[in-house]
Amino acid sequence: MDVRAQVSMVFHLDKCIGCHTCSVSCKNVWTDRAGSEYMWWNNVETKPGTGFPTLWEDQDHYKGGWKKNGGGDLKLRSQSKLDSFIKLFYNPNQPGLEDYYEPWTYEYENLFDAEEGEDQPTAIPISQITGQPMDIEAGPNWDDDLSGSPIYAENDINLDELTDEERHQLFEIERVSMFYLPRICNHCANPSCVASCPSGALYKRGEDGIVLVNQDVCRGWRACVSACPYKKVYYNWKTGKSEKCILCYPKLETGQIPNCFQSCVGRIRYLGVLLYDGDRVADAMKVPDHSLVEAQRNALLDPFDDSVIAAARKNGISEEFLEAARNSPVYDYVMRWKLALPLHIEYRTMPMLFYVPPLLPAMGKLENGIYEHSAEKFFTALEQSRVPIKYLARLFSAGNEEIINSVMKKLMAIRYYMRSLDLDDVDVVEISKALREGNTNPEEAEAIYRMTALPTVDQRYVIPPLQREEVISTTCSPEMCKGCTGLGVTVEIDRGP
Amino acid sequence: MIDILLYIVLPYLAVLICIIGSIYRIRKEPMTYSALSSQFLEARGLMWGSLPWHIGISLILIGHILPFLFPGQWNALLSNHAMLLAVEGLGYGLSALCLLGLVVLGARRLISSRIQSVTTTMDLVILLLLLFQVVLGMLTAMRAQYGSMWCTGTTVPYLWSLVTLNPDLSYINDLPHAMKAHIVGAWILVLLIPFSRLIHMFSVPISYLTRPPQNVIWANPRHQKEKAEVFARDEARRHFIKASCGVFGGLVLLSVGALDKIGQFFFGPRLSFSEETELMESKLKRLELTAEQRKLEVERRENEFILVAALKDLDREEGKYFIDYQMQPAIAFKNEAGLPQLISAKCTHLGCTVGNKADKEGRILCPCHVSYFDIKTGTPNQGAPAEAPLPILGWVVLNSKGEVLASRSKTGEINGTIATQDAETAQVFIRRADVTG
Repeated sequence: MDVRAQVSMVFHLDKCIGCHTCSVSCKNVWTDRAGSEYMWWNNVETKPGTGFPTLWEDQDHYKGGWKKNGGGDLKLRSQSKLDSFIKLFYNPNQPGLEDYYEPWTYEYENLFDAEEGEDQPTAIPISQITGQPMDIEAGPNWDDDLSGSPIYAENDINLDELTDEERHQLFEIERVSMFYLPRICNHCANPSCVASCPSGALYKRGEDGIVLVNQDVCRGWRACVSACPYKKVYYNWKTGKSEKCILCYPKLETGQIPNCFQSCVGRIRYLGVLLYDGDRVADAMKVPDHSLVEAQRNALLDPFDDSVIAAARKNGISEEFLEAARNSPVYDYVMRWKLALPLHIEYRTMPMLFYVPPLLPAMGKLENGIYEHSAEKFFTALEQSRVPIKYLARLFSAGNEEIINSVMKKLMAIRYYMRSLDLDDVDVVEISKALREGNTNPEEAEAIYRMTALPTVDQRYVIPPLQREEVISTTCSPEMCKGCTGLGVTVEIDRGP
Repeated sequence: MIDILLYIVLPYLAVLICIIGSIYRIRKEPMTYSALSSQFLEARGLMWGSLPWHIGISLILIGHILPFLFPGQWNALLSNHAMLLAVEGLGYGLSALCLLGLVVLGARRLISSRIQSVTTTMDLVILLLLLFQVVLGMLTAMRAQYGSMWCTGTTVPYLWSLVTLNPDLSYINDLPHAMKAHIVGAWILVLLIPFSRLIHMFSVPISYLTRPPQNVIWANPRHQKEKAEVFARDEARRHFIKASCGVFGGLVLLSVGALDKIGQFFFGPRLSFSEETELMESKLKRLELTAEQRKLEVERRENEFILVAALKDLDREEGKYFIDYQMQPAIAFKNEAGLPQLISAKCTHLGCTVGNKADKEGRILCPCHVSYFDIKTGTPNQGAPAEAPLPILGWVVLNSKGEVLASRSKTGEINGTIATQDAETAQVFIRRADVTG
C-alpha cells in the first residue's frame, strides 16, 4: 500500500449561482501577465453548453485523456511515446487561440488623448496579442446563461445520447433549464498531462497531490495541453511554457485558503485531504466505464483504518495531516455520504475534484408552483426531471445512471426530511419511507444538511499543515538559496532570443 | 589570410562559443532553452512550414554527418552508380522540402500580425541565414555535381583536419565559391546556436521514451529520509558491484595480454632457419625501398635536375607519371617531333590526378568530373567543370655525358635538337631553374 495524501475538493453545484467571482479572483492574482490573458485556470460554464475552450469535452477532436487499448491497459489517447515524436514539429490536436478566444482590452488612452473633434472619443477594443483594433467574436464565458440556444447549448456533446423528445423538453421555451459548472484543475491521481510531457516538466507533489509544471524544465512541446482532457493546462504564447492551476499552493503552504475557494459567494466549495493508494490507481482506471466511480472510491482510503494509518506514517505522512484527513469534508461527501462524483471519469485520469450534482433544475418542475409532499411523487419526478438523469450521468458517472439516481434520491430525502422538521407537515411513515428510499437515516441527513447549509469556514476548508518549512530547513539554507524558499529574489520571466 | 580567418579561426571560435554559450544558457537560463512555439497563434502556416523544414533538414544533416563519420563506407556505398544517383536525387528532394518550409515559415512571420508580436530580430536573422545556406547548398550541388562523392576527398578531410587540430586548407582551396560560402555559413550558424532559437536542437526529448508515465515528487523530509536510506544502501551496493566488475574486467584483459605473450615465448611457433632468413631479407628490402624513396626526396630538394624518364621510353599515347618539385603529379608524353611534352596532372577543378592515356584527339581525361585537357596546350574542353588549363612544364634533354641537347623553357621556346644517335641514350629531366626561375 502506497498511501498518498491529496488536497482535494468538492463543489456543491446546487449552491453555485454562476457569479464568476472565483474566476475573477483567480485571474487577478495569477493570469494577468502577458501571454496568459486568455487563460482561465478557474472558469464557470453553463450546462448544457459548449464550455471553454469550445467543446473541450469532445475527445474525438482534442484526443485528451486515457483510453484502454486492446490488452486492457491504459494508453494515452494521443501524445503516447511514439505519437509524441511524430507530432513534435506540428501537433494537430493542440487547441489554438480560436478555440479559446482572442484576449482584448480597450484603448482607454484614446479617451484622454483624442484630438478635439465632432464626436465623443471612444475606447475601441484592441487585441492583447497584437495591440491592433479587433472585433470581439468570443470570450471566456461566451455562452453564459445561454442554455436553450441552438448555436451553443445544443452542441453540448453530453446531449448526444438523449432522445429527441428529451432534447425537446430540455430546450422547451420558458422551461429551459441549466446549471453552472465551475471548473479548476482536477489535480488528478492519474494525470494524463504528467504522463504526456516529453520533457518531464509536469509532476504531482507526493505530500499534497498538487500537479505543477516546472517552468525551468518545460520546453514548450505543448503535449500536456492536448493530453489534458479537461483542457486545464494552457500554453503561454509569450513565455513558450505551459501553465496551469496551482491550487494556490503558496497560500496553502501558509495555511491560507486558495483564491477561488475564499472568494466563492455561494460557499459551494469544500477543501480537504483524501488519502488514496498509489498502487491501486492504475488498476482502478482500467475497469469498464460504468464501474469507474466505484473503482475510484475503492482506491480511496479510510483515514480511520489502523492499517492505513500505519502505512501512511511509513510514507512520511504526518499526524497533523492524518488528523486533517479525518476531519475532511471531502471525505464526508465522497466516501461517507457518497454524494460527490468526479467529472467525466471516463477520461480515466482519476480526477480529485468532486461535484455534488445539482438537484434544483432537475426537480424544479413540480405543479402549482409548490413541491409535492408525498414521497412517492417526489421520487417518480426523477424520471421526468428537467435536466435528464442521462445527461447528468454523462457528466458525473461515465453514463452510470444508477449512481446519479441514488445521489438524487438521497438529496431529495434529506430535503424532505428537513422540511418535515421545520414545518411538521408530513406523515412520519412517509418520511421514513423517503429516508429508506434515499438510503440514509435521520442522523446522516442532519449531518449532510449542516455541512451543506450551515458550515463554518473551518468546516468547509480543512487545510492540513503542509510543513514546507521542514523541507526548506533540511534541504537548503534560506540564506544560500533565496529563490527556492519563496523568499527573496524573484526571477524575471524573459525568454531572450 | 582571409582564408585562415574564415576556415580555421572561425570554425574553432564558433564551436568554442557554441559549446560554452550553450552550456551557460542551459544551466543558467533553463527557462529560455527552447524555441518559442507559435502554433497556438497560427497553426495552418506552421504545419506547412515546420513539417517540411524539420523533416528535410533532419535528414539532410544526417546526410552531411554520415560521410564525415564513415567516409570509407560512404564511398563504397556510392561507388554503385544507381546508389549515387539515388542519394543525389534524395538530396535535391529534401533541400526542396527545406526551401518550401523556410519560405512558408518566413512568409508567415512577415504576414501574420499575431506571429509578428512574438518574432524577434534574431528569428528573422536565423531564417534568412538558413535560407542562404539551403540555396548555397543547392547551388553547389548543381554546379559541381556529385558532391556526395567528392566531399570525401575535400570537405571531409578538411573537417577531420580541424578535429585533429591539424587544420589543412589545401583540401578546400579549389572548391567552388558557392561551396566555400556554404562552409562559412555553416560556421556562422554554429556560432549563433546559443544566441538564438537554434538552441532548441539540444532539447530533443529522448528521455521521454524511457521514463515512467507518472512523476510523483515528494519534498517531505520524513518520506525522504527512508527513501534516502534505501537509495544509499542500493547505491553503495551498486558502486561496489560496478567497481568490482571494473577491476575484474581490467585484470582479465591484462592477464589475457600477458598470458598470450608468455605463452608465445614458451609455446609459440618457431621460425625455421630459412623462414627467418626470408623474413630478414624482406625487412631489408623494405628498408632499401624506404631509403630509395628518401633519397629521391632529398634529390628533389637539392638537385638542379629531376629525372623524368629516358627519352626512348616516352610514348605518344601513354604518358609516364612523375613527381615534380612541389611533389605534385605530372605526366610526360612524346610529341610528333620526338620531343618530350610535359604536363601537370593535377586537375584545376578539384585537384584530382588526371589520367595518363591520351585519346585520339590528344586529350587526357580527369575521371572525377570528366574534364578533357589537351596535351599540347593544357586547355580543358568546352563546358568542362575545370575552367583553368593544366600548366605545361619545361624540360631538358641531356645525353649520357650530361651535356644539354635540347630544352624547353617555361615560356615554351625550344632550343637545340636531338640527333637520332643521341635519342637512344638521352634522358629527360625537369630543371629547377625552369620551375622556380
